[in-house]
Amino acid sequence: MAEEAKFKCLRCGHGFTAPYTPKVAEERACPKCDSNSVRRLKEKKDS
Amino acid sequence: MADAGRHPNIELLTLSEVQRVDGYVGNFKVTVLKKARYVDEKECTACADCLEVCPVVKPDEFNLGLSTRKAIYQEFPQAVPAAFVLNMEDCLGNEPIACGKCLEACEKRCIDYDDQDKEIELEVGTIIVATGMEVYDPTELDEFGYTQYENVITSLEFERLINSGGPTEGHLIRLTDRKQPKTVAFIQCVGSRCEKRGNPYCSNICCMNTIKDTLLIKDHWPEVQCKVFYMDIRAFGKGFEDLYKRSMAAGVQYIRGIPGDIYEDPKTKNLILTAEDTTTSELKKHEVDMVILSIGVVPPGDMDNTQQQLTLQRSADGFFLEAHPKLKPVDAATQGIFFAGCAEGPKDIKDSVTQAGAAAARANRLMRSGEVTVEAITSMVDPELCTSCGICARVCPYNAIYVDTKKKTPAVVVEAACAGCGTCSAECPFGAITMRHFTDEQIMAQIEAILAENAQDKIVAFACNWCSYPGADLAGTSRLQYPPNARLIRTMCSGRVDERFILKAFKLGAPIVLVSGCHFTDCHYINAVTWTQKRIEKLWDKLESLGIRPERLQLDWVSAAEGQKWARVMREVEQLREAVTAKEIEHTKRVITEDMLKKRTKKVKAKAEAVA
Ligand code: SF4
Ligand code: SF4
Ligand code: SF4
Ligand SMILES: [Zn+2]
Repeated sequence: MAEEAKFKCLRCGHGFTAPYTPKVAEERACPKCDSNSVRRLKEKKDS
Repeated sequence: MADAGRHPNIELLTLSEVQRVDGYVGNFKVTVLKKARYVDEKECTACADCLEVCPVVKPDEFNLGLSTRKAIYQEFPQAVPAAFVLNMEDCLGNEPIACGKCLEACEKRCIDYDDQDKEIELEVGTIIVATGMEVYDPTELDEFGYTQYENVITSLEFERLINSGGPTEGHLIRLTDRKQPKTVAFIQCVGSRCEKRGNPYCSNICCMNTIKDTLLIKDHWPEVQCKVFYMDIRAFGKGFEDLYKRSMAAGVQYIRGIPGDIYEDPKTKNLILTAEDTTTSELKKHEVDMVILSIGVVPPGDMDNTQQQLTLQRSADGFFLEAHPKLKPVDAATQGIFFAGCAEGPKDIKDSVTQAGAAAARANRLMRSGEVTVEAITSMVDPELCTSCGICARVCPYNAIYVDTKKKTPAVVVEAACAGCGTCSAECPFGAITMRHFTDEQIMAQIEAILAENAQDKIVAFACNWCSYPGADLAGTSRLQYPPNARLIRTMCSGRVDERFILKAFKLGAPIVLVSGCHFTDCHYINAVTWTQKRIEKLWDKLESLGIRPERLQLDWVSAAEGQKWARVMREVEQLREAVTAKEIEHTKRVITEDMLKKRTKKVKAKAEAVA
């Protein structure tokens, strides 16, 4: 099921949230600069 | 259909479902579940004696519930084979045993309540996917009142209603009073061409279907008024424009604008539509007796299973994707599989027939030649290095690798099925797979050559053969300006880009590495590109854990038509490169060397332990 996840663009540094379905590979693009170097930020376990 | 049923070389399997497909072009093994019919299809003459006596009454699916059928019935008059079928669920209802009336009535004794489902194994050389389409369900579009007003029906229901074999034997009536309507409204694009609800694509057939319906109405009942509400009429096929003109000449009123909502007059059951005619900007109310929603076409519900069994690709609209829109419009990306009809996208009868002919010819050509030309670029497993972990088989988009992980036999590549994407080779953790013509040694040598001098000034860019490399080419031939310091390494697919290539580039002092490939929907190797993304995501984590900025590994999907995008990416990546310091590069070289050493020591130790 789709959930919200945090993403960071490794091109322009823009941070954003977007729907995310675990194990489903989807093409992503930064809403600001359109780069595909978009990294999902994983929740840190003990912070 | 009847011809197909009679043809000596065609075996029709009705009431059947494909359970499994194994193998590859020329050698497919298909497991089919043939469901019990409970009626001997060879003996039944469709005399309908059983139908007379069957006490069960159910809505007739073929007439969309506008009429009824019995528990034993013929799906539709032209069904092939022309034999009855018994729906056991309907027959029994809550009863434990069948009432037996049909069995008594059938003189030929062709009913068998104990009939069983059968599994059939077929060996075939090629497969044609003709899974068809379904129609859009307009219940979510509340404003058209489909669920509230009986006189609002869909175009498919209308089709059955005016069909001579339909529930009214072809008489045009409206459902509330069984009287002939005076005015009929058609609403176009219901469930089509809308980004928010329904589907964004044009369903291709509904404009012409409506034009045909209006002409039918005008031919048979010229006194009935027809109004068509539309966004634009797409009458693009041969002779279609003439039909459209004929319909207008017959007095059909075409109003450019879709009604915002529909209300029913509770007394007359007439429907009131409010719509703006966008050609005159006039907002007008229209009272009609009947509304027909021209519903769009959607992919059938069980596409997932077919897709999985046959390793097919789907386009964004959900229909199956052809190998190439211009050069291989009826081929699937997997060799030996072809498409016919709406499985590949909405189309009318003529296009479906054309495509079916083309698919049959393509399949025939392949089978007659008796041999297939396999890719020169295929993967090769070294059985000495393979540990039978099974990863390669899991990632291969074509199911071209077989590994028995239980028996621990080394992986085997079926060369006829391998398309040469290189994903298996990039994913094998033991370096057991070599890609012909794109070997590790060849690619590593290119990386070394690129970074032999002034490494700090260069961008190492991996570009796939089908999209990104031609995209870069287009940028060049279009004379687009962009920084010249990227050095391209071409691989067939971005899936071939092994994490070791990227780490090697960083180890040799590359400030930035770019991996580029096709957009997901364009991937030439079904879904190999998704493995590229997963690999890069893992590498970002790894780089970060080593204290290297993940920003130095860039990812972009660039199609062959996106020369502009390639130039922009180059400019942006160059800016990132400029920000990478010499100190950073030295640190990267050191930590990666240390990491590689650590890994190697671990491996040697594990080997020594295994020997001991
Ligand atoms: S064929 Fe016509 S009615 Fe159907 S979706 Fe396309 S434009 Fe709309
Ligand atoms: S991934 Fe490599 S080691 Fe694992 S089964 Fe495939 S070839 Fe063998
Ligand atoms: S190269 Fe690609 S298609 Fe061939 S076996 Fe490997 S993953 Fe499958
Ligand atoms: Zn960005």
